[in-house]
Amino acid sequence: MQRLLQVCVRVLLGVACLVGFCRAQDFRVPAAVSAGDEADISTAGNGKATFHLIGPGVSRKSELNLGESIHLQAQDTRTAGDYLAIVCSSTCRSGSFYVSVAKPATLTFLVHPSRVPVAQSDAVSGVLLPFDQFHNLILHPLTVNFQLTTGNASLLSRQVPTQNGIAWFRALSGKSAGLLQVTAAVDDLSARRAVQQVASDPCNLRITGQRTKVGISVQTEPVRDCAGNPVPDGTIVTFTATSANGKSSVDAPIKRGIAQAQMLASGATSISAASGVVMGNEVRVGAQP
Amino acid sequence: MKFTIPITLVVLTVLLMVAGLVWTGHAGGTVGIAAGSAMYGLTPKADTPEHALANLLADAQRRNWDRAYADVSKTSDVDESSFIQDWIGSNGGLRSFSSLEGFDSRPMHITNDEAQMRVRLHWTTPVGPIEDVRDFHLIKEGDVWKTVWPKVQVPSVPAQVVPVTYLRWDLVTGGAADEWGSKNVDAPHVRIISMNAVDSAEGAVVMGEVVNEDTIPAFVNVNATLVDGAGNAIDQENSFDKIAHILLPKQVTPYRIDFPTISLKSVKNVRMDVKATLVPASADPVIGVMNQKVESDAQGKNVLHGDLLNESGQTVNIPHVVASFYDNNGKVVWVADGYVDRALLPQSSEPFAVEIPRSLAGKVQNFHVVVNQYSLGRS
Amino acid sequence: MMHFSYCLARFRSSFSVAAFALCLGVSLNLHADSAVQVQLNFKKASPRGVEELTERAILRDYRFAWTSIAQALEFNTLDPLEGPFAGDAKRWLKQSVVSQQQAGLNQKYVGQTHHVEAVFYAPEGDVMELHDTAEYQLQISDGGKVIHDEHAVVHYVVLMTPAADRWVIRLLQAVPQF
Repeated sequence: MQRLLQVCVRVLLGVACLVGFCRAQDFRVPAAVSAGDEADISTAGNGKATFHLIGPGVSRKSELNLGESIHLQAQDTRTAGDYLAIVCSSTCRSGSFYVSVAKPATLTFLVHPSRVPVAQSDAVSGVLLPFDQFHNLILHPLTVNFQLTTGNASLLSRQVPTQNGIAWFRALSGKSAGLLQVTAAVDDLSARRAVQQVASDPCNLRITGQRTKVGISVQTEPVRDCAGNPVPDGTIVTFTATSANGKSSVDAPIKRGIAQAQMLASGATSISAASGVVMGNEVRVGAQP
Repeated sequence: MKFTIPITLVVLTVLLMVAGLVWTGHAGGTVGIAAGSAMYGLTPKADTPEHALANLLADAQRRNWDRAYADVSKTSDVDESSFIQDWIGSNGGLRSFSSLEGFDSRPMHITNDEAQMRVRLHWTTPVGPIEDVRDFHLIKEGDVWKTVWPKVQVPSVPAQVVPVTYLRWDLVTGGAADEWGSKNVDAPHVRIISMNAVDSAEGAVVMGEVVNEDTIPAFVNVNATLVDGAGNAIDQENSFDKIAHILLPKQVTPYRIDFPTISLKSVKNVRMDVKATLVPASADPVIGVMNQKVESDAQGKNVLHGDLLNESGQTVNIPHVVASFYDNNGKVVWVADGYVDRALLPQSSEPFAVEIPRSLAGKVQNFHVVVNQYSLGRS
Repeated sequence: MMHFSYCLARFRSSFSVAAFALCLGVSLNLHADSAVQVQLNFKKASPRGVEELTERAILRDYRFAWTSIAQALEFNTLDPLEGPFAGDAKRWLKQSVVSQQQAGLNQKYVGQTHHVEAVFYAPEGDVMELHDTAEYQLQISDGGKVIHDEHAVVHYVVLMTPAADRWVIRLLQAVPQF
């Protein structure tokens, strides 16, 4: 009898301890939390414990009384990702939960290039990444509306769903030099970029030359690309004059659509011009009378 | 006894001073070539053309202008201030920042009354050591020899107003807080249009041309990596100053990358990389390269020489010439560069010359010169 | 003579200590670096194909980034985070280190293995998205006492962008699955 009583007491003590152990360390993490939302972690049991929260950008430690719930502030759950909650009293127990992204709030829009020659296929490309207000990438599909307009003309209007948080496009550049507006919109959010369409390489580079008192004055006709767009001022045209005395060259920048230079050459001279890898015509100027 | 140490110190000091003066500017020891300078206050009498010229150059080296000018013949058509300016440079030219390190002279022709001496001047400059070869004419006046200093040609630029109407590009950089993707200004688009790797006397050389295909100026640097058969990098170098770094739109520049002491025998591949960054720039000044010719100079070296003509209204302090040489297939066979030690005044010209290696001179069918320029106080 | 011998002996022992410390530091660094295993697969990267040099650079820089994360979080130091990270990833990693320092905690990432797949490479090559299934032993200590030790398998969505001389991690976001 005495022995039975001892066994019963031991079993009861064991069960009590077991229950007490569980109750001292039991806590419940939230099932789903959105970024920036407040949440609670409930604990059970009694006694003092230490609470740790470890997550992206967060490492927090606080003392608590078991049985109280731990309140997570909005700033604790800003960053989407994997969070670990640990409660330690005599032993430590942990639970993890995910913080998911909030609703779209900003768009990161990468457009290239910032300058593009006209009339080139697949010349302009853009990549859009939607983020929430806490800069978490939104990975569920969203529909992005891409638009390219130059002046009043629309070059592209396309709806593209995001995949793995990214939507992209590629398009040709317009035929005329000028500003190309590139817009990406997701619901009521939008981002805009500007691409400068510039003239392509000079086409039909033509020069004329005439003898002056000091040498030869040479200039180009208005320099345009093959589509008729004026080549930007500042573009270098290299004039080369070859005569019996030797060779002379001048790198002259285009000014108001025309490049001109003074060359020193006394005898019969042959003059050519080039801009980049594009060659122009050749003119011959007679000797000085 | 108590005066022993002070006396010893005085004697040692005097000996060291004498030694320093004796060995100042000493350069070379080749027989038949006078070099260096003489002792201050104890210069040899200018009783030979070698002594006379050495005295003048030593005084010029020490910037003792009164004594140096006293070594110049009175028949010279130059005053002392012009003589000094000819030596020390002006208008912020490269000569203004240089000093004469040493000299070697050799007689070309000597009679009883006149002599022709050829001098190799070694200058220390901010862009490295530069050698200059000059011929001096000396005449005997009484029992001493004097140097006839050539007339110093100073460009006479009339006062005038030259409007600057060429384009200028400024660069506005975004703030540090700009969001990702909003700083949408691409780096300039440049392209290497040719590359040629050769072995030279000093080692492997990689050269070619690069063009700015963009519509904005670019600051350009070309790097090359020599790779062996196993794909390992042997060495990596960049073009340093053998390139015109600032390229305006559609401008072409040659480049040359030197790999000293490396032979191409161990090289399987050359990996090229061109880096271009945005930079503020101006299309002004325009510098013409006139009267370019490949000829042999007085020393028998093959040189491309010509004149740089400053067609703008601002002084170019330090002109730098980079020349590419082509064979009859249009391939770049050599790239040479050289600095002009005098400033290029507005609307005036200065001569330049760059050397072509003797082994390549026969291959050169054509050439192209670009001018780099550094102007003090401007970006 | 005795003084010289004494100086020589002291120099020898100082030199030995310095050499040992150097070797230890190098070996620790090497050990930390070699402890991060990364396998990268670029087959699915599109629309742009990944160049061979870029593949090598991404592998090198991604491995180095995770080595830096491990060092920063284990030793609570911000220096390793300067080079391999940019933007929000750098921000939250720095915040992690600072808040760990304040809380007296540290994290240890041991035996890292990363199975990484490139799923997007922008047409202009200015951004790459990677999916990383990372496995490591995660130990969290509070004042030197281990409070958590688990074998973790975490899925990361990673955005990398090219910087001046390397690729940097701009986003490192854990997700339940890909």
